Parts: sequence; structure tokens; C-alpha cells
Amino acid sequence: MKLISSACSVVRIPSLYASLYRPICSASLSSSPSSLKPTTPLFLRPPRFSTSISDLHKWHHWAKNLASSVGASFVQLDNGPDSTSLRRELRWLLEDSLEDPSLIYQLGSQNYAMDVRLKAPLDELYVLWRQRIEERRPFQYIVGCEHWRDLVLSVQEGVLIPRPETELIVDLVKDVALASGESKEGLWADLGTGSGAIAIGIGRILGSKGKVIATDLSPVALAVATYNVLRYGLQDMIEVRKGSWFEPLKDVEGKLAGVVSNPPYIPSDDISGLQAEVGQHEPRLALDGGVSGMDDLLHLCNGVLSMLKPGGFFVFETNGEKQCKVLVDYMENNNPGKFFNVNIVSDFAGIQRFVTGFINNKSS
Amino acid sequence: MSSLILKRSFNRSLLLSQKSCTGRQLISSLFSSLSELQVKSPPSSGLRDFPSLDQNYKFLLSGFSSFLLKTIERPPRSQFRGSKRYLSSRSSERCRASASGIGILQRDNSGSASALLSRVILPYDSNKDQLHSKRFCMFSTETAVELSTSDGLTVDRIVASNWTILDESESDWKSHAAAISQSIQVVKRRLQWKKLMVRLDLLSAELNKPDLWGDPVHAGKISREHGSLMAKMKEVIAFERELLEHIDMIKLAREEDDTELESESLNTLLRMRRNSKQKELEALLGGEHDSCPCYIEVQAGAGGTESMDWAKMVMQMYKLWAQRKGYKVTVVDEMPGEIAGIKRATIKVDGEYAFGYAKAEVGVHRLVRISPFDSGKRRHTSFAAVAVIPILGDGSTHVQINESDLRIERFRAGGAGGQHVNTTESAVRIVHIPTGITATCQNERSQHMNKASAMAVLQSRLDQLEMARQAQMNAQHTQSLTEISWGNQIRTYVLHPYRMVKDLRTNYEVSDPDSVLEGAIDGFILSYLSASLDKEEVYH
Ligand SMILES: C[S@@+](CC[C@H](N)C(=O)[O-])C[C@H]1O[C@@H](n2cnc3c(N)ncnc32)[C@H](O)[C@@H]1O
Repeated sequence: MKLISSACSVVRIPSLYASLYRPICSASLSSSPSSLKPTTPLFLRPPRFSTSISDLHKWHHWAKNLASSVGASFVQLDNGPDSTSLRRELRWLLEDSLEDPSLIYQLGSQNYAMDVRLKAPLDELYVLWRQRIEERRPFQYIVGCEHWRDLVLSVQEGVLIPRPETELIVDLVKDVALASGESKEGLWADLGTGSGAIAIGIGRILGSKGKVIATDLSPVALAVATYNVLRYGLQDMIEVRKGSWFEPLKDVEGKLAGVVSNPPYIPSDDISGLQAEVGQHEPRLALDGGVSGMDDLLHLCNGVLSMLKPGGFFVFETNGEKQCKVLVDYMENNNPGKFFNVNIVSDFAGIQRFVTGFINNKSS
Repeated sequence: MSSLILKRSFNRSLLLSQKSCTGRQLISSLFSSLSELQVKSPPSSGLRDFPSLDQNYKFLLSGFSSFLLKTIERPPRSQFRGSKRYLSSRSSERCRASASGIGILQRDNSGSASALLSRVILPYDSNKDQLHSKRFCMFSTETAVELSTSDGLTVDRIVASNWTILDESESDWKSHAAAISQSIQVVKRRLQWKKLMVRLDLLSAELNKPDLWGDPVHAGKISREHGSLMAKMKEVIAFERELLEHIDMIKLAREEDDTELESESLNTLLRMRRNSKQKELEALLGGEHDSCPCYIEVQAGAGGTESMDWAKMVMQMYKLWAQRKGYKVTVVDEMPGEIAGIKRATIKVDGEYAFGYAKAEVGVHRLVRISPFDSGKRRHTSFAAVAVIPILGDGSTHVQINESDLRIERFRAGGAGGQHVNTTESAVRIVHIPTGITATCQNERSQHMNKASAMAVLQSRLDQLEMARQAQMNAQHTQSLTEISWGNQIRTYVLHPYRMVKDLRTNYEVSDPDSVLEGAIDGFILSYLSASLDKEEVYH
């Protein structure tokens, strides 16, 4: 257990803080480019604040009750989180806020007067948790990060929070990349990279000569992806480019060893019925795939034919069984003989989620 | 300071070598070399001082790795003369090594004499047939050498003398020596000394096979086990030797009226006496996997919320216990009850000897109290089952798992998933199809990490199953939750009408259940461990 030296200055929380707190809706795609300095995730901020265990305990008690009061109401409303999930999030919020997370176990025990160091003022923690429950602000935006695979990625409003399902794309690439030296040392593209999740995941399994180009249209996404790439020290391997799908890749046409993408795939009509955390907080640009949800998927499907080199590999994430089937049909019927080894892969929930395959050698 | 020690050590070696008639000329140099015993002819004359090889002789050989003591046996003349590779154990006599003096001198001189690697100069017989620089491979522990003081006192003899053991505060060397000797006997018994020696011999023989490294995995395993047993043995012998050295020192000091030296050695004995209880404890944890981290699993018995609450209390008891011991605790999996408590949960306990201690908790724990969940305020009895699984290190052989034998599932009620959903819940369950064994993890913050954790649990479960299959191991400690019979009660916690916790295996009891539930369970653990070990065979 770390004892906080009493000599260190106690930063008193400005009481104004709560009212000054930026309303969450202001940080969105509409923000001006000058505001595009990505926010530092809570857990990476310096522990500049301090509070007594007893005050922290009070907050924790309040927050826990707030979480419990939710019961199953969000589940019934829009399949949102139940109070068990919220209490788990609360523990993680505490974990990210405390300089010494092992203190979590000491909450509610001895030494009430002892001070603990925090990475955000206690007032802010009140505000943040209220936003979580009352505004359904996603937990990942609250703490500014998402644990994804073995990575901790910075995320913020304006950037899609990477989904657990998407982790599998990296495993699918791994199976291919590690099987062939050429792919491992080749050039890959992650289209619509968002936080940079897939690009970074792939960057870490490629060989020393391997490269990834990560593209996006959203300036926030580009800023966040760049930040994450830097945090993992992959700036020499991953290049972040701005533009729509293959547009910024003209210079590498026919040279890509692999293309991966998790494009927006939700049918436009479904957007309004989404879980509040998604529909009201995540960027529409990252979700809306047009009327059928397949606008971008079909576009990508056409694009890979010219972008990939012969024998190149692709993985696309889809909305589920229906989109997978349509995509596979499309490949087989509209471009017979051009794709091969096309497969549908399910996620861990058993939902058909990915379409993978290779591009045929053009001469054949 | 070092010069003082040097001087003193030098004195001691002089004295001891005179006393033990082994001739200081014998030990002119003690080198280190890899687990080999080098037999050299004495460098100087004066060999005539040597007792004939046919007599029981003593020689000084300390400071080199103590395990050599086990092996150095005066070889029968015929073999000594020949060029046999190994020291024979066929000698009819034991040689007695006086455990003193020189070693310290040597350590002080070189500052770095390695314990592992030693060379020893053996006395050789007076007719000077000799083996110059004959090297003996030292993977052997054949015949026991009994350590003694210069006048023949051994640990066993000290115990047999029944010297009165006075309070620690009494400066009486005999009392200290008796207490320490008793501890050494306890330690040896707990280490199953005799078995240990036999095992070491076996391993040594194995290590001496020329084709050993043809199978590197097997070789690695053998040499690791050899190393670990050797280390245990050496520690005991070193402790024993230190005791006898200081007894010698005290006698010497008295003869020379050196009160400073006497009180110094007396203090050392006192320190050793205090230390010896700790050594007794450590000797409780000599099992193959005792030093491993482990999983502790708790499952509620029948009886609804009351027993789920009890299961949670039991789990909490282990979390607090582990924290007290400075172990790292991670909740791997937890299935909460509908109203309160847990249906079952798994924690990972990381730290030295976590498994060694925790294995004593395997079985069913019974609670008697007035249930807070019973509006009628009636007394209830509930049960919680506890299983403990060692997490084998990289060195151990693990069961090979085929990816294709696994089914990986995600817990999540229906829904489209993917971009539709924001969730922080990414629990993963892995089913090992051939055995039906499953593992779940939900406490990591990413699905990938949950999967990795669940995989680790699955690996340990399969390893455990394999160990159980190989049956020889203590069956109880490797039982999984599903195998623990609800009849196998090990402890009762009574909160009403009286207050008491009692272990049904050892009858150890405590009248303050609160402290026990706050993690003060070491008393139970140690009494169980010592009871189960101490009743096993005596060490010689
Ligand atoms: C579903 S998100 C995926 C983000 C990230 N790859 C992931 O898996 O977490 C889709 C991403 O595509 C980007 N996007 C949308 N339209 C695009 C376009 N025309 N060109 C490039 N990127 C686009 C969005 O900004 C968003 O970051």
C-alpha cells in the first residue's frame, strides 16, 4: 500500500469545475480542426489530485447506488447495460482514476483520513458517473480508452469504440500472415481505421518489413489513430492517411498484400433504434452503411480487385449472416473466378461476422 | 571486520584440524568446479599423520557444497586404486566429516566460493597408491555422512541427550543446541529425508546416463528436480553444519577463555534457534507444486441465497488471506447469486507457495448461523466447496491442447452484436470438447484478455486432470470442484448459538470466527500441513 506523503500539496477541487464541465455533445465531428488534439485517456493523466479515502468512499458508495438503481431498466429499454455491468465499469473507472489501483480493496476499510492520489478531481468523477448513468455516455468515452486485445487504445467522442468482435480480424490476419513470409513482410491497408485498432493489431504481428496504411475520412479518427500509433511506437510501420476508402491509396494500387476493413454496416433505418450509448454518442459516419447497410462493403469488395496484388488477402466485417451471404454471392456472381477461397467466419457469439478470401492470380 | 573473521577462522581451522587429526596439510586448497569432486593427493608430505584408510577417519571438509558430504565416502582401497569412475558406496564404514572451520576460512579468502561447484581433496591412504587428479562425477548422493562436532556430537545425539530446553532468553548453549537440533529433525521428517535421499540417488543416476540429453525435455525435468531437491538438502545440511561449528567454537572459546568469541557464537545459536521455527514451516511446503501460484475456486452448496452468501464469505476470506500474505489476487470468474452472494467464483492467487498453503483448504466448509435472509430468524447450516488448482510453471509438462478441440463462446444475450452494441462485458467461455472441461473469464477488460485468462484456467484444469489421472499424486489436492463430495467436510464455522471455527481434520479450533473470516487462516493451514506431514514416515 502506498502512503501519500502529507507534504504533497492537496489540490482542492474547484467547485466551479462541475458547472464548467464541457457538455459532452460539443465534442463531435463538427468540432473545428484546431481542437483536434486528442484527449489523454484518464489512466495516462498525471495523479495531480488528491482526496481522502473517506471522500472517495463516499463517492464510490453514491456511484454504486446509482448503478444499482438502474437494475434492468436499460436492458429492457434498448438492450443497454444492467447494473452488474455498470458496477464492473465503476470498478474500472476507479482503477483508471487512482494512482495506486490496489487501493480499491482498501476502500471502506481502515485509515479513512488517509489521502489518495487521483488522476481527476473528485468533482469530475461525480460528473463523469452521472453522465454514464443519466446520459448513457459510453464508459469508454468516460475513461477515454478501450481495452482491445492486449492494447489499451485511446478513444473519444467522434471515434468509434472498437468492438470485441473486431479483435478476431487480427487473428484471421495472423493465420494468413504468419503462414507466408510474403504477406508478413508485405503492405497492408486498414480502411476506415477509426481509433487505429486493427492497423495497430496487425502492425504488431507483421514482420519488420511489413507496413500498414490506415485511412479514414474523419479528422477526429485520424488524430486519435495517429496518437495511438505513436503510443505503441509504430509510427515507422503504420502510416495514417486521410481520404475516402481507396482514394488515398492510388500510389499502391495492385501492390497490397492484404486489405482489412470494418466499414459502417448498419442499415440507415436501424440507426434510430440503436442502444443509447451507440446511437446517441458514437459518430454516425462510423455506423451508417446506407439503406441496406452494404454501400461501403460493396464498394470495398469492388476495390480490392484492383488494389490487392494477385494472391492478396482480405477480411471484411459485416452486420451478420445476411450481409455475409450477400457479399459472398456478389463476389461469386459479379466477378466470377476473381476471388477464391472465400469464407464466412463467425464471431464468438456464433454470429456470421466476417468474409475472408483471396484475389486470384489475374493471368488465370 | 573481515580481517578479524579471517583471523578467527584461521584460528579455528588450526584448532579443528589439530583436534580432528586430519591434518591441515590435507586441505591446502579448495577449489570450485562444476559439481565434480576432484580427488587429489595431498600436496605435502606428512601423509603419515593420516589414519589408515581402514579406520574410521574424519576429515575436514566444509565450505564446499554440502551435498558433497553426502557422497564423499572413503572408497575401499581396491577401488580407489583402480580407475573406477564413481566413488563407490560399498565401503563398510562411514566417514565422518567434521563440519567446521576451514570452510569459513575459505569463504573469507576467496569471497566467492561457490556452493554448487566444488573440488575436494580426499585423504588417501598411507601406502600412497594414488589417483592424481582423478575426477569423480558428483551426481551422486549415495551414502549418508553424519555431520559431527570435533568431539563427535551429532544432531541426533544432541536430541537423544535430552538436554533441557530453557527459555530463549537463557544464555545456555546446550538449550539452544537442543532446540535447534529438534527443529532439524522436524525439518528432515517433513522433507521426508530418507525418501529425498533415495530420490536424489535416482535422479543422480539418471543424470549420469550418457544419453540423457538425447531427450532434452526429460533431461530438463530431471535436472530441475535434482537441483531443487539438492538445494533443499544443502540448506538443511548447511544449517546443521553451522550448529555444530558453533558448538565447536564455544568449546574452543571456553578452553581459550575467549569470552568474546563465546558470546558471539552463543548469539549465533540464538539467531539460529529463532530461525529454526521458520525453517520448520518452510519444510511443510516441500511438495512438487507447492511453490506454484494457484486458482482457488469456491462453489455454493444447495440452499439458495444463504449458501451463496456463505460462498461469498468464504471467497472473501481467501482474498483477505492472500492479501495478508502479500499475494496478488485476481478475480477470474464470478457467477453472482440472484439476490446475494455467489454461485461460484474463481480467483487467481499469485505468489510464492500459494498452492502449498492453499491446498490445505480443499474440501467442504460448513457454516451454522441465523440466516439474515430468513425472515423467521431460524438457524441455518450451509456449505461451500473449495477446490485449489496449481498453476504449473513453464518448466512443467503441460497437457497439449489442440485448437480444434476448443469451442469458444461469448456470453451475451441475443442481439446483433458488432457495431450495434456498446458493451464492456466481454466474458468468454472455452469448452474443451474431448473432456467437456470448461473455463470462463469475465473480469478482464478485453475479450482477447478474457480469452487468454480462460485459456490459462483451462490449461490448469487439464493439467490437474492429467495429474489426477497419473493418480500417484495426493488425490485430494487435485480434486476439482465437481469431484469434491459434499460429504468431505473439513471445517465448521459456527456463529450461533456459540462462536467457534473448528477444523475437523486436526481439531484445531479458534473461538473468534470474525478473525478467521477476515483471513486469519494460517493457523488452520499450518496445523493441517504439519499434521499430515508429521504423521508420515520418520526420516531414519
Ligand atoms: C465501424 S467504424 C470502424 C473503426 C475501426 N476500424 C474499428 O474497427 O474500430 C468505420 C470507420 O470508417 C470510417 N469511414 C466512414 N466512411 C468512410 C469513407 N468514405 N472513407 C474512409 N473511412 C470512412 C469512419 O470514420 C469510421 O472510423
